[in-house]
Amino acid sequence: MTIWKLRNNNPLRKSYVTNNIKLNEFDALIRVTVEMSKYLYPYIREILKSKEDIEENSVIWNDFNKRFIELIKERFNIDSMRVKKLLNQAENEEIIIKSLLILSFCISNQGYQKLKNFLHDF
Amino acid sequence: MQNKLLFHQSSASLEIIGLPDYSNNENKDQISIISQWKLNIVDKPLIEGKIEHLGPIMNAFYIYSNLLIKNEIPIYESKLIDIKADNLHIHNIVLKSSKPNVKPLVLKIGNSLLSDTINCFDQLNESPKVRIKKNVVSNYVPKKGRFGLNKKVKFFNFFIPPFIAICSLILFSSSFIYFYSPFENIEKKEQLNQNKDPLAS
Repeated sequence: MTIWKLRNNNPLRKSYVTNNIKLNEFDALIRVTVEMSKYLYPYIREILKSKEDIEENSVIWNDFNKRFIELIKERFNIDSMRVKKLLNQAENEEIIIKSLLILSFCISNQGYQKLKNFLHDF
Repeated sequence: MQNKLLFHQSSASLEIIGLPDYSNNENKDQISIISQWKLNIVDKPLIEGKIEHLGPIMNAFYIYSNLLIKNEIPIYESKLIDIKADNLHIHNIVLKSSKPNVKPLVLKIGNSLLSDTINCFDQLNESPKVRIKKNVVSNYVPKKGRFGLNKKVKFFNFFIPPFIAICSLILFSSSFIYFYSPFENIEKKEQLNQNKDPLAS
């Protein structure tokens, strides 16, 4: 429940709280993300693969992108410039691919540490 | 009889062949002396080599994947392997043979195969059954890059505050030029003195 509430700390959402998340909450979010990536790896892989040969297999990528945009429009503040960038199909491709790649690189047992390193380097 | 261990992830599998170090009282199924390794990627030629090639190839993949994510130019070049990005989705790998007159092996892999390969290497790194010397596979995060970044940040932290302070001081003090002009004052004093002199005489 506490972790679920943390989503409101995202300043890109329509309504958000300005509290800073604590270190243990940050760690918990990373652990949840890594566990979800392990579970969703086959799907993440298929989305990446569908973009590689877009002419043959564009259905998965198009579905994913459509749902991604729908969710952002539904929950995020679409007046924000950063959100507009996420919605712009010409610009969001690189952001999505890199985010999926980061998740796909962090599915090992040390994925938690890897994801933490990636986030610190941003 | 040599031991074989297979690390598998979707379309990539890494086979490690070797022996335990009996002088260290290791278990029979342990591998500490790697004699051969094979990286099999579906629909791609088999990549195999000796232990001295495994470390540099793993490092190349780790460093390249880091560059790819960090928005830096994704190019890795070495004597053994070159990896370049053709575009956001396809990566060009050139494996150079140490033997003379052997043409380099060129592979094109997508993001899905790249992540499968990285995950195979991660499994090998984490496996308690294979002991790889630390100098064979270094930490995947390029320390040079990290150090460089820290150094840059420290330099800016050191340099920027006094620089801004000096600039603001110059800007602030320059506004006083309009209130006080030493040359104008000297001229005025001279004029006053000239006006006073005829009266005195």
